[in-house]
Amino acid sequence: MAGSSRDERAWVRRAQAGSVSDFEALFRAHWAPAYRAAYLVVRDAGAAEDIAQEAFLSAVRSLDRFDRRRPFGPWLHRIVVNRAIDWARARALRPEAEAVDAPAPDPPERDEELLRELEQLSPEHRAVIVLRYLLEYTPGEIAELLELPRGTVNSRLRRGLDALEERLQ
Amino acid sequence: MKDFRAPREAEARERAWEVVRSAYESREPVTWPRRHARPLIAVAVVAAAAAAVLSPPGRSVVHSLRKAVGVENAQTELFSLPAHGRLLVSGTGGAWVVNADGSRRRLGAYRDAAWSPHGLYVAATKADELVAVDPKGNVRWTLPRRAPRFPAWTGTRTDTRIAYLAGGKLHVVAGDGTGDRTIGPAAPVPPVWLPGRVVAYSNGHALVGYAVDSNSALRRARIGPSGVTIRRHAGQSEVVSGGRVLFRGTGVFKQVVRSPDGRWLLVTWPTADQWVFIQIHPRKIVGVSRISSQFGGFPHVGGWCCSR
Repeated sequence: MAGSSRDERAWVRRAQAGSVSDFEALFRAHWAPAYRAAYLVVRDAGAAEDIAQEAFLSAVRSLDRFDRRRPFGPWLHRIVVNRAIDWARARALRPEAEAVDAPAPDPPERDEELLRELEQLSPEHRAVIVLRYLLEYTPGEIAELLELPRGTVNSRLRRGLDALEERLQ
Repeated sequence: MKDFRAPREAEARERAWEVVRSAYESREPVTWPRRHARPLIAVAVVAAAAAAVLSPPGRSVVHSLRKAVGVENAQTELFSLPAHGRLLVSGTGGAWVVNADGSRRRLGAYRDAAWSPHGLYVAATKADELVAVDPKGNVRWTLPRRAPRFPAWTGTRTDTRIAYLAGGKLHVVAGDGTGDRTIGPAAPVPPVWLPGRVVAYSNGHALVGYAVDSNSALRRARIGPSGVTIRRHAGQSEVVSGGRVLFRGTGVFKQVVRSPDGRWLLVTWPTADQWVFIQIHPRKIVGVSRISSQFGGFPHVGGWCCSR
């Protein structure tokens, strides 16, 4: 998972100066949470890979302008989750148009039921659940990330959890 | 949920790292002088503008400067394409597929990338090979050739072939990479496919065609402007269709590419470092700036694919 905030600031600073190894450290620290978050929202490994990769490419393009006093993770996760929501919405509108990936290996059994039920939620509800329980942001931070009122985040969390609880019982 | 592991994490990470590292290595970091020169340049520009408006000749200078900057209010990032389909671009920053939602994938360090007829594959070149990859960047086949250039893919879903240039000659190879053969001498320009299994190149005055099945030079047709063209004069470029100027700007327009549904044109404008999307009816213009920094160099557009 991500390194300490001091490590991270140092990686960003040196990556801005052109250090590939520091940029790689930043990438490796943040890849897994970004990919997992995208996967939980879109439930398609290929799309999740594209979404996470695209977020890092955005990071490359914006690296010189990035304010290194700010944490890198929330900035990246905001791109990932917004793109994942857009992708999931688009697929819902035209499911027949999507190419089919080779089947992904099954996740561990204990995750499978939760994943199946999570998929029944809307992309917007999935996103706040993922931000809260996978990436462990507070509702206030989620509101800031997704540019939503705090009350909307709370209600999406509540409704999402209620729906999951109901289905899992 | 915090212990959740997604499928194929490690493979996805390594694939993505190759792409991201390549983009990182091809970026141009902002150096200290460049970063600090900006405020100074801004002051100089304001001073020059103030001096320029003091006299009538000065006003005309200001007018021409304004014309040189490209589309005003251009987006600084390619957020999405205005029509469906995917763009294929290639240049010094490698080959990229840009999806309609603006997401993009770098296929690798290829040049001259071109779509297969239905957008299922991409043909491209490296210094010493012709390559066919899928739109995720997985290599399907390679053909070692010295300095191959300009692949052009044509055919149907079941029978496709690629024309390309190598060693001053036109070659044709089947879409699966087999049956490569030399067709005849050609100028160092991109070949085009014509109906009836004819591949042709322009020698600057006429099209020289070869019938692929017999290797015979076929005809020399005069080249006349057709469809949408780019016209240049007096330091300006114009996009012209049926005698009507659709768009005009200072400097050089490199390419004009039609969207799969035919409603939009993409004009590439290296002078302004912009792409300009033009909707023909009703007229609408969307500019995207900073193209070079988004693709590691101003890219050539290999096609906007495909119709639904």
